[in-house]
Amino acid sequence: MRAKERDRFHGRQLRALLAQELADRWRSLVIWGLALGVLGILYVALYPSMSKFMEEYLEQAPESMRRLLGELQGPITAEKWLEMEFLSTLLPVALPLMVIILGARTVAGREERKAMDLLLCNPVPRWHLVAASTLAMAMTTAGVLGITWILTYAAVPIVGVELSAGRLAMALAAVWPLCLVFGTLALALSAVVRRSSLAIAIPVVILIAMYVIQALSQVSKTMEKVRFLSLLYHLGHPIGGDFPWTATLLMLLAVCVLVTAAGIAFERRDIYT
Amino acid sequence: MTQAAVTTEQLTKFYGGRPGIIDLNLEVAPGEVFGFIGPNGAGKTTTIRLLLDFVRPTRGRAWILGLDTQRENVEMRKNIGYLPGEFSLDPRMTGRQLLTRFTRLREMDNLGEAPVLALRFEVDLDVPMGRLSRGNRQKIGLIQALFHRPKLLVLDEPTTGLDPLVQEAVLDTLRESQEEGRTVFLSSHILSEVEKICDRVGIVKAGHLVALETTETLREKQRRRVTLVFDQPVDATPFAQIKGASEVKSLGNTVTLRLDNGIDSVVKVAARYTLLDLKVERPTLDEIFLHYYESESG
Repeated sequence: MRAKERDRFHGRQLRALLAQELADRWRSLVIWGLALGVLGILYVALYPSMSKFMEEYLEQAPESMRRLLGELQGPITAEKWLEMEFLSTLLPVALPLMVIILGARTVAGREERKAMDLLLCNPVPRWHLVAASTLAMAMTTAGVLGITWILTYAAVPIVGVELSAGRLAMALAAVWPLCLVFGTLALALSAVVRRSSLAIAIPVVILIAMYVIQALSQVSKTMEKVRFLSLLYHLGHPIGGDFPWTATLLMLLAVCVLVTAAGIAFERRDIYT
Repeated sequence: MTQAAVTTEQLTKFYGGRPGIIDLNLEVAPGEVFGFIGPNGAGKTTTIRLLLDFVRPTRGRAWILGLDTQRENVEMRKNIGYLPGEFSLDPRMTGRQLLTRFTRLREMDNLGEAPVLALRFEVDLDVPMGRLSRGNRQKIGLIQALFHRPKLLVLDEPTTGLDPLVQEAVLDTLRESQEEGRTVFLSSHILSEVEKICDRVGIVKAGHLVALETTETLREKQRRRVTLVFDQPVDATPFAQIKGASEVKSLGNTVTLRLDNGIDSVVKVAARYTLLDLKVERPTLDEIFLHYYESESG
């Protein structure tokens, strides 16, 4: 009976904390969703003129340049055009930045802002904060991707482009676990290192390194050997109907490990103001 | 047997090699107002943070209302109202919004005592925190510590930044809490505040509890500093002969001394000369520490 009451208490606490975390993050959700959605619209709107230009350019471009721009054999479809930059570079590099900041602010950021004591003087277990922040991070990221999908796809009938809504959704969904890996890495670091600047800097450096590896691996045989180190490589080509199920599952597993590590580290350490 | 509100047993915290608090043994009774005083870095805030389980002890243990501060920390915090020495509030959020969040975390149906306290402390709960003065933000901090009527109040420098009228209102509120049987554990630099409200005082210096006294005893141990200004230089010898006088010094037209007893005998000696000014000052907290050390070595 007592255990049941305790479980109910934890459930109510988690819901209350999650609601607070989401209330604190709705601005990020709207701003990032609108920014990426507008970029999506721009890419769709530019497709008709840019596809012709790109086809002409690629006919004359050297082989290495063609490889850098992706597997662009044949006509440039709307899917290929979006994958060339928006889905392969812009989104998987820009969106994790938002999530990294959210993750770093959970523990170290709160301590630096001197906001942790007031929260934890309530009957809140520390792991609840980590769990609620992770859930809020996952929901915020999904929200941003949802807004991006809606806005990007809204431009499709207006511009008169052929693009599958399902394929676009799959391409955006593939970025979600990647963002969570970086966000929970920042969260775990912020629980360990106590400095939000460091908890942001380390995942950002890793993300940039992964982008560089991914970009160079398309033009360099040497870098091709190490491209498996880049999570961006494992995203595959979901807009082409090839959703990276294995990579997604592995990344979600990594998220679970990182969140557990963050919870343990935060539970064991001192809280400073 | 009545359960102590706060109990510590050899409670010790080191930050690396630097001591925070060392071997603190303390018991605060339910319904007591206990003052924890000492200079900056003495270990007051470390003790409070250990009690709230924000920092973990290097050794020793603590209990709040019979609950182990580490193993039963969530249950323990249901019964505690805490005001941190330093805190920040979301500038976009109003006091009401902050308190509403806390009511959900505490599973309360309403804002409890908050509206009454807001009236008493003269603060508007509907103004965003970013537009409040430092003193008003401190009032919000106090309200969030008090609004759920906790059994134990832990307050770190509660009257910092408050005007004298509100300081008095806060002290009245704490007295009322005590009358209702609740316990107050407060740390402060302001001795006059501690004297007014605390039943018992612990003095901490460099991580050690150097004295644990009732406030009455502390008051008795205070020596006043007396400064007398005459129209011409005077001989300090008669002042040095006054019972309870010490550290008698004469410089130009001014005589200074410390006094354990009443001022009457000093006034009588001073009346032999033309007195231009007389100043009687209570000692600073540091001076009381020195007094303690002198007593201990004597």
